[in-house]
Formats: sequence, structure tokens, C-alpha cells
Amino acid sequence: MSFFDKYASLIPVLLIYVVLFAIGILVPGMWQPVAFIMFYITLGQAFNIFLGLTGYVDFGYVAFLALGAYGMAIAVESLGGANLGFGIILIGLVLAIVMASILSLAVGAVALRLRGAYFAIATIGVNEGFRYFVEGARIWGGSEGIIISGAMRNIFGRETANFISTFVSDILVFIIAILAAIVTVLIMNRKMGYALMAVREDEDAAKVMGINVTKYKVMAFIASASFAGLIGASAWTLKMTYVFPSDVFLITYTVEAIVIVMLGGAGTLMGPVVGGLIYGILKYYLSITLPGFQLIILAPLLVVIVIAFPEGVVGALKRKARGNARKYLR
Amino acid sequence: MELLRLDNVTKKFGGLVAVNKVSFTVEKGEAIGIVGPNGSGKTTLYNLINGVYAPDEGRIYFDGKDITNLPTHARAPLGMARTFQIPRPFGGATTRENVAVGAMFGYAKASVDEALEIADEYLRMVGIYDKRDVEAAKLTPLEKRLMEVARALAMKPKLLLLDEVMAGMNPSDIDKLIELLKRVKEEEDISIVSMVEHLMHAITKFAERVIVMHQGEKLLEGPTMEVLNHPKVIEIYLGKKVVEDAEG
Amino acid sequence: MPFFEQLAGNLVYGAILGSVYGLSTMGLSLIFGVLRIVNVGHGPFIMLGAFTAFWMFTLFGIAPVISISVALVLGLALGFVVFFAVIKRLINAPELSTLLATFAIGIFLEEVAKFIWGPDHRGYSWDIGSIDLSITLIPYSKILAFISSIVIAYLLYMWFQKTKLGAAVRAVVEDSEGAAACGINVGRIYALSFAIGIGLTVASGVLVTLFVPVGINPYMGHEYTLKAFVIAVLGGLASPWGAFYAGFIFGLIENGSYTLLGTIPGVEPFSLTRFVAFSLLLVILLIKPTGLLGGESK
Repeated sequence: MSFFDKYASLIPVLLIYVVLFAIGILVPGMWQPVAFIMFYITLGQAFNIFLGLTGYVDFGYVAFLALGAYGMAIAVESLGGANLGFGIILIGLVLAIVMASILSLAVGAVALRLRGAYFAIATIGVNEGFRYFVEGARIWGGSEGIIISGAMRNIFGRETANFISTFVSDILVFIIAILAAIVTVLIMNRKMGYALMAVREDEDAAKVMGINVTKYKVMAFIASASFAGLIGASAWTLKMTYVFPSDVFLITYTVEAIVIVMLGGAGTLMGPVVGGLIYGILKYYLSITLPGFQLIILAPLLVVIVIAFPEGVVGALKRKARGNARKYLR
Repeated sequence: MELLRLDNVTKKFGGLVAVNKVSFTVEKGEAIGIVGPNGSGKTTLYNLINGVYAPDEGRIYFDGKDITNLPTHARAPLGMARTFQIPRPFGGATTRENVAVGAMFGYAKASVDEALEIADEYLRMVGIYDKRDVEAAKLTPLEKRLMEVARALAMKPKLLLLDEVMAGMNPSDIDKLIELLKRVKEEEDISIVSMVEHLMHAITKFAERVIVMHQGEKLLEGPTMEVLNHPKVIEIYLGKKVVEDAEG
Repeated sequence: MPFFEQLAGNLVYGAILGSVYGLSTMGLSLIFGVLRIVNVGHGPFIMLGAFTAFWMFTLFGIAPVISISVALVLGLALGFVVFFAVIKRLINAPELSTLLATFAIGIFLEEVAKFIWGPDHRGYSWDIGSIDLSITLIPYSKILAFISSIVIAYLLYMWFQKTKLGAAVRAVVEDSEGAAACGINVGRIYALSFAIGIGLTVASGVLVTLFVPVGINPYMGHEYTLKAFVIAVLGGLASPWGAFYAGFIFGLIENGSYTLLGTIPGVEPFSLTRFVAFSLLLVILLIKPTGLLGGESK
């Protein structure tokens, strides 16, 4: 395969990002909805690296989002006086990745030795368990959480702090989405992508073929969790300027990530983008017309997807695509 | 030169002894057949060699290394490959990608690009090159078996374990496959172990040596025709003369 | 020695609560044993049972022990509905599909409950006196819960052992293909087992209300999903009886550790106890890393 063939599938994805960005910047009043939709696309992209590529479902995925959110909050809170300017955001992002990847390594090394259902069981425990640990041991503010709005004003001044929460945090989400897409394609094009395909299809046969299945599953898990950490740090902490355990450990985000990935097509690059777009637009207007009803609509939707078209939109399109179209659609 | 050696290998499942103190060796470049009725412990034997199960007793050596406790995934890179009794393609991937996986993670340890080329080469060899972009799940049962042979060969193994690979094939397909296996065996110096339940005539055309399994134990071992004509072998196949199968 | 008295009292309480835990996990294990499906939305069915008990008591003054039968019938009916609407279509689907579907069903039940009854925490008190064990006071209502759990588990056991249908279920657990070959209608056994599993789960929700004074709310199930998983894994996942015994063990561990954690200053023992449950889950899975499906993949 030529270099172009391998990476051609990135073109439509990046094109959609550019169009969304342009709409947000150029059309007055559209930045907020665009950022809202982009959050879901990014969440889908990040979760797809694990759920889509391995075929394993992590019901505790939001724990990594939460940990990333805490990472940023801790950085801002504890280094607020160090006069680092924007450096502190960078440190916060790094801390978010480090914390999310450490937890994912710990959980993955234990739980990813287990098969589908057992893994799922273990992950349900991770989210709840970790939340109760934070609350129970009273670390990071316990159930009161961490509020960084004051620290942000002290570091950056009122106006810049406001700018960070209303614009910079959204830009970061865009950047994370681009990075997640690139990482997805890089994985797909490498041996790791083929290994994960084999894991998804038949894990026992994959082992016999010489594939160290645990290693590749853990790698995908850490990559996916790190992106979740980045999302938590940017789209949650920087945007909201507070972290409460009851909010950031909310199972809703896990459900949303699963729905987006399954709706668009698990294991495809384009899937989370399509799923995120459909879901984001739907939710944006539903939250205006029917506030508080998203889960009651989402849950049956997920059941319908799983029963009626488990391949998702992009999965079904990909099956129909012939020749040249196929390399743009992965 | 000895490639594979089993030393008194035993595997029990609960109270059931599936493989009982079995020992044998496979030389480099040798073709042997393992025959035995259903439930004689053949597949368990493969799973032990492959590392799907760990033996309860005994040791297994491959290419001079003790691999008794080596995990499954660490064995293929040493030069082991197998096919499955019921083919196990990676159904959602294309035929070509299936075979390429073998080349990437087997003894060949090819890069992605190399692996895709190797895949094409072996798909041509087994005669399903025109199906290379078809989803493996959509192949016919025969094509799936051929894909598995290609996938195993693409691993560039030293030892190829075939599990009922010719079951359900018509005689001309069997002849073609045997021709192919003989050729790669010579060209690439592969040892081949082929396991069969009924297709004795295929074994006579192909194996230099035969091991007969019966109720988890090694009943007999020796030159193909001699063993298959042995009264004990005839007895365990319900009094049916085995080599009549082979000649007719 | 007030600490040891407290510990002893809490352990008695733990054993009583453990019987309810055991009952509440039997349905999960039965469904897994027969259908090889993990009901990830297990807890919300317990929540439905809790609301059943709550409304029966507050609207009609019906005692929880009586509501058990109402909840059982409701649960059976709901089990059949869920089976034929969703589960039946996913019997041969990849594991991921059933995990996602049952998860979504659980969420849906919670949201419907929230829509109808609101998100508030509710409770009721069924006071019929207590017995003084000198180390602790045990209300009769909890003792009745204890007896009810054991009676229901025993009745289920007898049904399994003594009836033809029960034998058919056992045969399917052993080997569904073999059972089909023997003329057992496996599809019907699936439906029945799923319904019984859900029925038991909803019924156990009634008894749960006797232990949570003001804890009845749409999202109460989460906690029980997690606990049921720990218990089920402890008991062998596919065995309802294993689950029942494991429930006792879990009740003892939970209440024992609560007492011990309470002695550590500066922590919230309530939350930490839940953390202990989760850690226990990971530890069990770590000790038996093949999971309980391992070793049978011949």
C-alpha cells in the first residue's frame, strides 16, 4: 500500500473538522454548538481506540475522563502561585495523561487478562470503586471536589481566565480530536492494528498466530484512556473550572461514548465522527426542546442499534463501498 | 535433526485423561501423520504443542528449547504454525489481511508491507488469489481451509500442524493440496504433522511416518504402510481394513 | 470491649443482610449459567422491586413479605417481555451486543423510574418490634427478610431438583447442545430462565428496602450491580447456589470491614466500604485470572 492509500482515510475526517471549525468561527452564535458537537466527536474518537479496535467494552471509561479532570485541577490548584502562565495548562495536560494512563495500566494489566464479560464486570467496579475511594479517603477535596475558578483568575486575570474557559478549552478539544484520529490511523496501519483486528475477531486464534493479545489490548487501553484524560482536563476542568466527583464520574458519559461509537460504526475511523455528529446535533436540540430526557431516548436507541445494525452507519457504508471509495472510508 | 519432542506428556480434564504419557519426536523436514478415531486425543495433543493447554506432566521441546510453559503467543514466533479443524478465519477482515497476519506475527516477523506481499504470494500458491479482497467470513468452507493453509505457510514455520485440513475436499483438491505441501516442504524445509480421522489414503500419499492415537495413548508408531496395516489399527477402526480405503 | 461488641453485632447484621445479597445475586447467576449472558443492567431490576415494596406499603399498607409475591410476578412478566423484545434476538450475537443491550435496558429502567417517580430518595418504615441479642438489636422485619431469602432460595432449589422443568434447566446449563439433542426446547428454557432470573432479582429488591431506611431512588441499583458482580464472581458466576452462599460471605466482609474502617480517623467508612467491595472484585479476578469461563474452552 502506498503512503497515500494508508492515510487517505484521514482526509474526509480532517475535512469535517475544518468545516466545523469554519462554521464555528465564521457564523455568529455557532461557536458554542460546534464546540458542543466537537466534544462528542472527540469522546467517540477516544473511546473508539479501545472499544472499536479491541471489541472490548469498558463500562468504567468515564473514570479516565474524571482522572484527567482532576489532573488539570490539581496542577492549577497546587502550582497556581508559581507564575508559570500558560505553562500551567501544559503541565495540567501532562498530569492528566499521566494519571489516566497510570490507572489504565493498573486496571488493564489486571482486567485485560480477562475475557469480554469478565472484563466488563471488572470495569463497572473501577468507576464506582474509584469514585468511592476519592470520596471515602477524602483525597482531592473528597466529595466537595476542587474549584479552580479563583486560582485561574489569580494566574491569568479575569479576562484571560474567561477566554480560556470559553475558547481555549474548545480549541484544545479540536486538537485532541485531530490527534486521536491520527493515532487511530497510525494504529490501524501498523502491526498493532492487525493484531487488534485479530483480537476482535477471534482472540484464541490470534494467540495461536503468535499475537501477544494482552500487550496489544493494554496498549490500546492506555492510548484510549490518555485521550479521555485530555478530554477531561480540557472539556471539563478548564471549561467548567470545577471538579466534583458526583459530576465527573457520571456514568452518562460512558453511555454517550458507547452510543456514539456504535452508532457511527465501531472500529472505523470515520465512525465516531459520524456518530458524534448525529448524536451531538440530536442532543443539542433535544436538550433545548426536551431537557433531561437524553438517557431515556439514548438507551432504547442503543438497543435498536445493537439489534438492527450493529455495524453502525460507517460500517454499513464501508461494506457497500467499492474500490477507490474504500480507502477514504476506514 | 530433531525439531519437536514430546516427553511423557499427560493432560487430564477433571477425571478424564485426554492424553496419557505420550512421547514422540518430529525430525526437521519430516512429514508425519497422526491418525486416530474421534476422541483419541489428537486435538488435545495439538493444543498442548501449541500451548493452548499446559500439560499436567511431561515436557515439550521445540527446536532445542523447553517450551512446556511458554505462553501460546510466544510459540508461533519460534516457528510453529497450525490450521484448525473447524476453520477460524478473522471473519471481518479480507482474505489477504488474514494471511498477512500470519506473516506479521509468525516466524516470518514481516513488516506490514512485506506481509501483504507475502500474503499475495501464498494466496496465489493455494489458488485463491482472486478472493483476496473478499471478507474471509464469506469464503466457502473449502476456501477457508485453503486460506488457513496460506496463513500458516505465510508464517514461514519450521513446523506446520495441519488439523483435518483435507476433510470435506474432493479427491482432486486433495491431490492438489498434497502436491503443494510436498513442494513447500522440500523448498522451505518444513516439518509437517498432519492429523486425520478418516482420510487414510491422503496420509499414505504424503506422510513418511505415522503415529496412531487411541484413547489418549500412542498405540503405534512407524513407517506409514506398515502401521496402517497393523492388526491393532484395523481393530480400532471397527475391523475395517484401513488400507483398502487407501487403495480404493 | 465495646469495639468487639460492635464488631460482633455488625457481623450478625452482615449475615442477615448477606442472605438478601445472596438472593439478589441468584438471578444474575441463573441468567449467566443458562444463557451465558451477563446482565449488566442487573441493579435497576432490584430498584424496581424496591419501588414495588414502597408503593405497596405506602398506598395499600401491604407488608413487604407479602409484596414479595407481587414483585416476583411483576419480575417474571418483565423478564418475559425483555427476553422476547431484546434478548432473544441476541442469543447468537457477539458478547459485546448482549453487554451493551442489557446495560442500555438498565439505564432505560432507571430513567423511566425517574420520569414516573422523580429522583428523590424515599423510604418507609415497617416497625414490628425488635429482638434484643444483648450485643445488638435486630428488628423482626430484618429477621423476616432473612427467613424469606432462605425460603425462596430453598424453593428454587427444590424446583430445580424435583421438577422436570428444573431438570431441563440444569441440562441446558451443563450443555445446551446436548440438551437440545435430548429433545429439550432450549429456546423455551432460555425464556423461562431469564424470566425467573429477573423475577428473583425484582423480588429481592423488596427485601432490600428493609435495609435502606431512605435509600429508595431510581439510581439505587448501581450499588447492587457492583455488589452482585462481586458476589457472583465469588460464588462461581454460573451457579445460583454458589451466589447464595457467597452473599453471606460478602455480607460478613462488608460489615466487618465497615466496622474496622470506622476506627480510622479522617475517612468516610461508608464510601470506603464500597471501595473495598470493588477492590475485592479485582483481587478475586486477579487470583483467578482466567475468569470462571477459563479452562473449559475445549
